[in-house]
Amino acid sequence: MTALVIVLALPLAGALAVIALPVRAAVPVALSATALTALSALVLAASVWQGGPVTLMVGGWQPPLGIALQADGLAAALIVMSALVVGAVAMAAWFEMAAARAGPRAAFGFWPLMLLLWGALNAVYVSRDLFNLYVGLELLSLAAVALVAISGTAQALVAALRYMIFALAGSLLYLAGVVLVYAGHGTLDIGLLSARSPAPGDALALGLMTAGLLAKTALFPFHVWLPPAHASAPAPASALLSALVPKASFLILIRLWFEAMPELASTAALLMLAGLGAIAVIWGGVLALVQSRLKLIVAYSTVAQLGYMFLVFPLAGGDGSAQPWAAGAWTGAMFQALSHGLAKAAMFLVAGICIAAVGSDRLGDLRGLARALPMTGFAFALAAITLMGLPPSGGFTAKYLLMTSAFAAGQWPWALVLAGGGLLAAAYLYRPLAALFTRDARLPVHPVARAWQGVPLALAALAVLLGLLSAAPFDLLQIGRPEPAVEGL
Amino acid sequence: MNAALPVLILLSSLVPAGVTFFLAQDSHTLRNTLNLGGAVVKLGLIIWMLFAVAGGASYEASLPLAPGLVMLLRVDALALLFISLSATLWFLTTIYAIAYFGTKAELSRFFGFFSLCVAATTGLALSGSLISFFIFFELLTLSTWPLVAHKQDKPSLSAARVYLAYALPGSAALLWAIIWLESATGPVLFTEPPDLSALDPGALRGIFALFIIGVGVKAALVPLHGWLPADMAAPAPVSALLHAVAVVKAGAFGVVRVIYDVFGASNVAALGVGEPLAILASVTIVWGSVRALQQDEIKKRLAFSTVSQVSYIVLGAALASPLAMIGGLVHLIHQGLMKITMFFCAGIYDERAGVRKITELNGMGARMPWTSVCFSLGAMGMIGLPPLAGFVSKFYLGLGGLEAGAPWVLGVLVASTLLNAAYFLPLLYRLWFLPAAEDARGDERAPALVVPAVVTATAALGVGLLAASPISPLGWATLIVAREYGP
Amino acid sequence: MSAFYQGSLVPLAVLVWPLLVGLVPVVPRWRARAVRVLPLAPLPALGFAMAGAPGELFLPDLMLGVHLAAVPGATLFLAMTALVWTVAGWHAALTLRAGPQAGIFAGFWCLTLAGNLGVFLAGDVVTFYLAFAAVSLAAWFLVVHDRTAKALAAGRLYITLAVLGEAALLVGLMIGAAAADDLRISSVREALSDAPMGQLGLAALVVGFGIKAGMVPLHLWLPVAHPAAPVPGSAVLSGAIVKAGLIGMVLFLPQLSGWQDVLIVLGLVGGFGAALWGLTQRNPKAVLAYSPVSQMGLLLVLVGTGSGGVAYYALHHGLAKGALFLGVGVLIAAATRQQRRAVLVVAGIVALSVAGLPPAGGALAKLAAKDGLPAVLVLALTLSGVTTTLVLGWFLVRLAQLEARPEPRHLWRGLFAGCMVLAALALVLPWVLWEQASALPLHYPLRSVNLLAGFWPVLLGIGCVALVCWRNPPALQPGDMLALLPERGMVVGPKQGAEGRLRRGATARYRRMALRALLRSRRADIPLQPWPRAGLVLFAGALALAALIGRPG
Repeated sequence: MTALVIVLALPLAGALAVIALPVRAAVPVALSATALTALSALVLAASVWQGGPVTLMVGGWQPPLGIALQADGLAAALIVMSALVVGAVAMAAWFEMAAARAGPRAAFGFWPLMLLLWGALNAVYVSRDLFNLYVGLELLSLAAVALVAISGTAQALVAALRYMIFALAGSLLYLAGVVLVYAGHGTLDIGLLSARSPAPGDALALGLMTAGLLAKTALFPFHVWLPPAHASAPAPASALLSALVPKASFLILIRLWFEAMPELASTAALLMLAGLGAIAVIWGGVLALVQSRLKLIVAYSTVAQLGYMFLVFPLAGGDGSAQPWAAGAWTGAMFQALSHGLAKAAMFLVAGICIAAVGSDRLGDLRGLARALPMTGFAFALAAITLMGLPPSGGFTAKYLLMTSAFAAGQWPWALVLAGGGLLAAAYLYRPLAALFTRDARLPVHPVARAWQGVPLALAALAVLLGLLSAAPFDLLQIGRPEPAVEGL
Repeated sequence: MNAALPVLILLSSLVPAGVTFFLAQDSHTLRNTLNLGGAVVKLGLIIWMLFAVAGGASYEASLPLAPGLVMLLRVDALALLFISLSATLWFLTTIYAIAYFGTKAELSRFFGFFSLCVAATTGLALSGSLISFFIFFELLTLSTWPLVAHKQDKPSLSAARVYLAYALPGSAALLWAIIWLESATGPVLFTEPPDLSALDPGALRGIFALFIIGVGVKAALVPLHGWLPADMAAPAPVSALLHAVAVVKAGAFGVVRVIYDVFGASNVAALGVGEPLAILASVTIVWGSVRALQQDEIKKRLAFSTVSQVSYIVLGAALASPLAMIGGLVHLIHQGLMKITMFFCAGIYDERAGVRKITELNGMGARMPWTSVCFSLGAMGMIGLPPLAGFVSKFYLGLGGLEAGAPWVLGVLVASTLLNAAYFLPLLYRLWFLPAAEDARGDERAPALVVPAVVTATAALGVGLLAASPISPLGWATLIVAREYGP
Repeated sequence: MSAFYQGSLVPLAVLVWPLLVGLVPVVPRWRARAVRVLPLAPLPALGFAMAGAPGELFLPDLMLGVHLAAVPGATLFLAMTALVWTVAGWHAALTLRAGPQAGIFAGFWCLTLAGNLGVFLAGDVVTFYLAFAAVSLAAWFLVVHDRTAKALAAGRLYITLAVLGEAALLVGLMIGAAAADDLRISSVREALSDAPMGQLGLAALVVGFGIKAGMVPLHLWLPVAHPAAPVPGSAVLSGAIVKAGLIGMVLFLPQLSGWQDVLIVLGLVGGFGAALWGLTQRNPKAVLAYSPVSQMGLLLVLVGTGSGGVAYYALHHGLAKGALFLGVGVLIAAATRQQRRAVLVVAGIVALSVAGLPPAGGALAKLAAKDGLPAVLVLALTLSGVTTTLVLGWFLVRLAQLEARPEPRHLWRGLFAGCMVLAALALVLPWVLWEQASALPLHYPLRSVNLLAGFWPVLLGIGCVALVCWRNPPALQPGDMLALLPERGMVVGPKQGAEGRLRRGATARYRRMALRALLRSRRADIPLQPWPRAGLVLFAGALALAALIGRPG
């Protein structure tokens, strides 16, 4: 319980402290806040693991009067993943966002924004109230847009602006949906909504909320803001944006479609969501294949990887939720969220190291870099393994669970998407890998601290370990899941 | 103890791999000790287990991942056949590689991946479930890539790219097949054949085809063989390991597992998929030989010869009669010994004499007699001359073909014999009979390169000469077939 | 684990000893003079044969289980083989120039010898195949020893046919072994005729053995290889090595399988045709090369009829043919007219013996062979005396005109002695073994009817030789039917040419096109980016979702 409070409050408090205290205290304060929060995230996960979902009634009031916060297995897993990513990003940023390297404004602005973003994320993870979720989402979007703009270049500002427009439009749509729900049922608590009696506006409400969240999750065709935004932010910021931010809106989608209004999930709508996801996998993959900058490749890869997660809807949603394969599909999608988060953060941090080393992230300039920075090259390769969905990584576990469910459900075309997407990922990640591993270096390489290099390696290794030791995360994810997992698929 | 042994065997190459990555480039002694030590430990463990398993013991260790994903390591006779080959040849190849590379650059990376590759092969052999097989199969793909690309020049990188371009779609097909199958039958363990009745024959045929495509890429079945000759850009120890042990054998081993432990020979026969596979293998045997004939680089010729020879194993497995099965399994060992000898020798010719093309081999017999004798032994074994190893496999395959009612196999074997003779005898002729070029150089003052070749050549001769003894590979293959796949 | 061996190790020792001798040239210091030990290599085999080839051996662990035991008739075969190899080895030791090449020759000489002895001792098909492969393939080194273009070309033909023969043999043996479910030769032989695909197996065996035995039309290598090989090489090739094919036929062809008739017909064609074709040759060694084709033809007829006299006939033929081939070498080495005359006389006597002139050994061989044959074949055998006389007479004529490369006197004496020994053995040994081999009384060959049957064909043949000398026959290249084959040489080589380049060009074009399409797709996101459009899409998406969600059912 205390851990839950700390996880929510400490990042926000830390952000305020960083702003309030003198500049030279910023980094130590931010880092210690990060460390403490990360620690309590682990404690929270442990208590969820042992005692089931941890619930906090704010002020002791039960919904609908009060607001409920609940860390179930899914929330706990995402909190831990976020803690790991933010921890790693903070360490990398310690090197990368030094004033000498990133300029004083970015160097200062990064820390409070990072903590703010983190606090918002955690709030979204544990909220059980649609309006609360909206607040968290808004906070998150604000911090994210600011992080995109932090470098201050014209390109970054254009990208940030476009991001903001999409985020605002998405928020508006979501808010409209929330209003409709409140008008229909007088409550916004997810638990209570699941037991509501149907109202005529529900379909429209869910449609509006979903569309808004899709825009924020950057599902095709609403993804156009994502690549420029992620590519123009500083690398640690991109890592946060790509690895964590879309997961928040995706989580709300899951809460809506699986917990709040599962009965509204018509087959056609589920198919549409998954269909868009499938197109995103291909679209993002092909576009990643033709980029010539590492960060753009990685950003487009995010578009593709997010698409996988939407395959969960027809496999585990609607009528399928009671089927034996639903647990596998649902857990698979969540594994995808977790492993993608770790691996993608590692990749952006690698991009940051590359930029620090040769001053560019063009593939041509990266040639031969693995020779000077072997750990970095290795980290990228490990992260790539996860994104390709090759064993024994977390990405493989995700893909395996989704594919098995697709076959069991008789919906094998989704399996085709998964397999094809993996091959596409191999193709687009091969280019930077091959460039890194060629012999002839083109540019002189500035030295990069080994500790900095170790950060993405650790993240990528975690992504692989997620697959190797997948039994524990699997069980954690089942805690508090509405439909109990059926063993044996 | 029963659970610890398979894990220990896996660790005996995994730990050196992990540690080697972090060694400094110039800590040669430590790195070599580590790698050789791992190999020796592994050999010791395997020899111990050989006796235990022959006496009926079995070892098992499992690690449950997500539900349905069971990592199962299990030592059975077939697994031992494969790991004893890989362990022995790993040891020799390590010695060879240490001498081959000397103090060249990037050795820690090389030996790290080298050990990882062996660990993957070991895991593959020990896999007791389809999913762990797949996991190690992929690990093998990935750990081989840096080895192929090791020189990091243009040909190597393009070879490595070609390798992945074949291997990854192959893996996708394999994964597809596994999941399709397991979605109907639940997790497949090799010990208990899955109940296939839930799937209709059409689907089963589809699954089988996908399996074969998946493992066939590694086994270099025509038309999925294109990567193998391209990979000749890799350094000699890599080609030796790749072609004789790790990759192609993993594919062939996979075919055996799929036919006998996943589907079961009787189902394969009932589905009518064994014969098409046998025909595919035969086409590969002949086509590989024909292409080998057209090569003028030694390693390329050897590579196409591998394409051809590995399909002997597939052919034996596909024919599914006991004798053919024995022939196929024993060829796993025999081909490994012969081919690694030849690749060792090709590497020595390249390293000590700068000879890469067949035309440059003239007169090398006199300059490099040990190497050339080994090379000749390997070549004659490939042709199938008794008492070398190749003859034994060929003989069993032929008998097995007749036993399985597929007499055309004899035609394939004869064609292969003749083609093998046609592409190897001219080499021997050049080696021993034509005068050396004026500016030819070449010596054998590198015992660590020559001795492994001599050892494997002797082994190739020995396993043929003592084939009927119970401790020979043939004896072991017979035991496998009698114990696990017998009628 | 069973014992490593069962039975007597003597047969194994007979085979291992030549292999050990063959290792002598491996030692660099001994290499140059290794040929000197060659006469020692066959001696244990000779002793073994004289002791009656006793003992059987089973080595369960070796190869696929090695059985060694004397095959039927092996004593005679072994004796002949050992004798021919001993004397030829003696000849080689005296004539071959010392040097590394002689070392190679010596090594493979011994390997060939071991194989040659092995085919008479093998009890199972794998051992037999091994021995056969050794004698076939290692003999290539005996053919190409001179390294001249002619020798290498002959070697190429030889090795091609030998490899083909090996392959055919393997097919036959596998079919037999599969049918018999056993590897012992006796079981394989029994199983072959009724086996599924047994006829194919038998055909393959006939081809495989036929190539070795010089059966028409598979004899092509003999007339090409003999003139190219050094003299001792030719001697063992035609005297002993061809018998490996013969023993194969004897061992593996079941009685009454239908293939006997084929053997008889082909044997007769060879027996007469080859002899006549020999007249078209000028090189005495080439002329002589057609003689074994002809004699082997007769032997095949005997095999075909199942006659018991095969080994006995082969004994004489092997010794005589060895003597004749060595005679060529001795004549070349002769320094004086006197020496030449001596050689010619010996060669003449041996030739008459081969033709079947009583009371020489050849006549006895023929008599023993005729025993129990149908009348037609008896007549054929008798008539073959004419053609044999003819071709050997022609050989002597050509031999007499051969140019000499004189060797020192003492050396010549040694060579001549070797030739004499073989010749004497060819004449006398059949007498010694007569009763044992034919079960007929010792005076049977001296009956007038038999004497007459021996005399008239030879006289007729001599007449024909005179006729041939008078009307010089046309001179043709050795190798008769080879002329029908297209130009030999490496047919296949690295592929190159315009087609490959064209295809590469096309591939490059496609690759460029694909690349351009990919690069164009880099801009695929741009149409979706401007806000008004994106907003429209977003709202449309929201409504579409709502509509889909609200859709009943």
